[in-house]
Amino acid sequence: MMGGTMLIALLAASGGLFVAGAFGLVSRRGVLFQLISIEIMLGAPALAFIAAGAYHGNAAGQGMYVLVLALAAAEAALGLALYVRLRRGAAAEGSVGDSDGISELKR
Amino acid sequence: MNIAYLLLLAPAPALAGFGFLALAPFPMTRRPAALIGAVAGAAPFFIMLPVLFHCFGGGCDPAKIAPIMTLTFGETDVALALGLDGLSVIAGTTVSGIGALVLLYAVGYMAEERGRDVRRFFALMNLFVAGMLSVTLAADSIVFFLGWEIIGLCSFFLIGYYTDRPRALVGARKAFVMTRIADAALLAALLLLFLEAGSVRLADLIPAGVAMTPERQAMVAALLLVGALGKSAQLPFQTWLPTAMVGPTPVSALLHSATMVAAGAFLLARLAPIFAAAPMVAGVTAAIGLATAIFGAICALAQTDAKQMLAYSSISQIGFMVLALGLGAPGAAMAHFVIHAFFKSLLFLSAGVLSHSAGGSTAIRALAGGSARAPMAFLALAAGAASLAGLPFVTAGWYSKEAVLAAAWDAGVIGKLLWLLSLGAAAVTAAYAARLILAAAAPGAMNAAPNTDDRHSDDLARPSIRAPLVALAILALLGGVLVGPILHLLHEAHHDLAFIAVALGAIAPLLGAWVGYRLHAGGDAWLHTPFMRDARRGGQVDARYQAFVVRPFRRFKNRIARADPFEIRLPMPKVAAAEAEAAPIGGLLRRISRWRRARRPIRIRLPGWRAAEPVARLDLVGQATVSAGTFITRLATRALQPDRIDVAGTGAARAVGGFAEFVRRVQTGRVRDYLFALALGVGVLLLFA
Amino acid sequence: MNAGLAFVFALLGVAASALAATRTNAARAVAFLLASLLALGAAFFALDATFAGALQILVYAGAVVAVFIFVLITVDSSARAIDQEGRGMRQAWPAAALASALILAPLVFAPVPADPPSSVTPSTTKDVGTLLFGPWAIAVEAASFLLLAALIGVRHIGGRDRNEEEG
Repeated sequence: MMGGTMLIALLAASGGLFVAGAFGLVSRRGVLFQLISIEIMLGAPALAFIAAGAYHGNAAGQGMYVLVLALAAAEAALGLALYVRLRRGAAAEGSVGDSDGISELKR
Repeated sequence: MNIAYLLLLAPAPALAGFGFLALAPFPMTRRPAALIGAVAGAAPFFIMLPVLFHCFGGGCDPAKIAPIMTLTFGETDVALALGLDGLSVIAGTTVSGIGALVLLYAVGYMAEERGRDVRRFFALMNLFVAGMLSVTLAADSIVFFLGWEIIGLCSFFLIGYYTDRPRALVGARKAFVMTRIADAALLAALLLLFLEAGSVRLADLIPAGVAMTPERQAMVAALLLVGALGKSAQLPFQTWLPTAMVGPTPVSALLHSATMVAAGAFLLARLAPIFAAAPMVAGVTAAIGLATAIFGAICALAQTDAKQMLAYSSISQIGFMVLALGLGAPGAAMAHFVIHAFFKSLLFLSAGVLSHSAGGSTAIRALAGGSARAPMAFLALAAGAASLAGLPFVTAGWYSKEAVLAAAWDAGVIGKLLWLLSLGAAAVTAAYAARLILAAAAPGAMNAAPNTDDRHSDDLARPSIRAPLVALAILALLGGVLVGPILHLLHEAHHDLAFIAVALGAIAPLLGAWVGYRLHAGGDAWLHTPFMRDARRGGQVDARYQAFVVRPFRRFKNRIARADPFEIRLPMPKVAAAEAEAAPIGGLLRRISRWRRARRPIRIRLPGWRAAEPVARLDLVGQATVSAGTFITRLATRALQPDRIDVAGTGAARAVGGFAEFVRRVQTGRVRDYLFALALGVGVLLLFA
Repeated sequence: MNAGLAFVFALLGVAASALAATRTNAARAVAFLLASLLALGAAFFALDATFAGALQILVYAGAVVAVFIFVLITVDSSARAIDQEGRGMRQAWPAAALASALILAPLVFAPVPADPPSSVTPSTTKDVGTLLFGPWAIAVEAASFLLLAALIGVRHIGGRDRNEEEG
């Protein structure tokens, strides 16, 4: 049994997770760190869905969690593949894994 | 146990054969591929046979349904099903039977092709059999249209079977585009019917179509007619069929004569009640059918190539079916459908053997001596041609053609005229059939010319080639006994003709055959008259269209654009254009244009019109239109002569450019900055929420 | 089920996340990410979401972190790189903090929802299954297509070009 206060507390914790991830995403320059931050951010909605599902006694919360999980898995795989690709290209130039280095679209 | 469920099994083996041949992940040599293809393609026939006997025993009344599956989309249930009734069983058995025989023939005929090609061939043929069966057996418009598209696709691939021959690819593309136009009309008609009935079952669509308001009914019927005409290569869509003959002979025999092109006639028979309720469209149908029958017969008479002759003959014979359908006699049409399938596939198959014994040439002249080189095939060809000509009493073709003629005879005063004209077409049919046979019977070289295909004529004496020829020959001669039961199964009374009509109907083919004999005996001079040259090219519809529609339109367009006052050379052979203009039908137009050219150019001066270029050739209509157009444009733009709007527009464009320069500085290219902006945006949105 | 316990674990997760987001050493950042994900998994179990908890540990903490660890091998962990990363973060943190505050602000004003009716029962794995493979089948299919696309994309992006083979 979960009360409304507990729900808002868990949602606040979820918000905290999201903000921690967002902070990391904006403040970091290393691509790998930014990817870690995105993983953290994706954990936030997961927690929120589970908490709301438990509050309403509804299976949809866990169902949404599964979808979030699929998204996170796809994101992690693609992000890391891009990272590996970037490193391979950047290795010759010496700037390694720095997201500020990838601004070719501007030019 | 409902016997209709047996129908579900009918397309299955062919489909499985296609799936296996197309997808099996290992290479296959020629022999197993051909064997699998033939067995899988012939199996449906042995499933259809018990159904047919059940039906002749009265098991088809009332019609039964074998559901496949039901899909639910929103509020509509799409219930896919196969239907068991007289029409579907007759057409389905014919299709699967001819398919089985042609595939058997193909096992021997394709024996020299490369293994990969043989596999592709049999895979597509199996898919075709499955698609054609779903067209004939369908009880709902979805399965019907699916099959319809599948057979169109198979036709495309099989016409272009010899992928290294440019003509094959061009022919395939032409067939595809032409039938696609018609298919779009069919799709529109089926969708309109669906909207009317709220169901996809044909059993619901037909009453809904009958109950529509006359205007919508005429529209739906006309669209259906266009769909059928395109598939069946009837006027004005007939041009794709002759060029489709570049595929292998079994393809021509099965798809482009016996079954696929007749699908249009089947469509009209299936939805006959709608046409019966729309007399205008039915009249047009009959007129087109008759015109096509006559046109096809004359073109066939003029051919010098056996395959082309048979192609035009198919067009003409399907015209007879369409005529019967327009007259409200689907039973007669289906009887002719069945009999035509017998004799036309027989003609193609035996002509294929004869042309191989003649060194691979399909020219009629090259068939000379065929009776000595390949007597079996010659006899089969003779049986087929006799049936095509409709020799009285001894051939199946006479009975089915008589059924069509009887339907015309009974259709009032106009019907008598139609009867007379179709009798004329039948006589011409007998004339070209006789020409074909006499050419093959003429003495010729016993030894074949150097064989271009590396194929030996003794290869073509193997049983897998002989058996279909014998079976089809028997059917083409004795199949007449089927006409009565078919009419009975489709609940159509056999029309009884007056004695004079029967007598005339019997004399016409004999007369035609005699004319054919005279033409054959009299040398080739008649073939070189302009009329015959024109007919040999199928009336040169393509070239005429190019010469009289496309080119003037482009000329007009160019003049409007003032790009080039002289006409642009089109990628069309000059000779063809010249011949098109020289041909008799073009004579009137040619005379008109000559009269126009004879006059001196006249310049019409209108205010605001400058004669910018020398007028190449007087074209009153074009000139007037252009002058009027430029005049009006000048009037409209005069007020804006110092072009203020233009200036303002340029200024605005420049301002946008400057702003963009400014905004561009925001684009740092750094991922972090974008992410920061994103986070800010999210925060602001949350504040509003 | 114990919501209080869940909240404790969630707070642990937030703390671990904050640490993960601020470490300059990649290996430590990944370790804290793992800790954060495991803490969330524990919170799910405390909320009786056993299916989600199991998935969190198996897929997230197991598979996804494993991939990160593979990539760690290639990371430049020299003192110079770590120092550069730290300097970059010290320059950028005010902006990041501003954005974070903006996102967090609305949560402060969020109303506390009423207690649900007492008849709420925790949903079982079976409920989740019937939901996913019944009414949500299309969504599951879409997710599977997403994963397939990711698979092909990774194969394409990560694979070596032909002209890169020698270099």
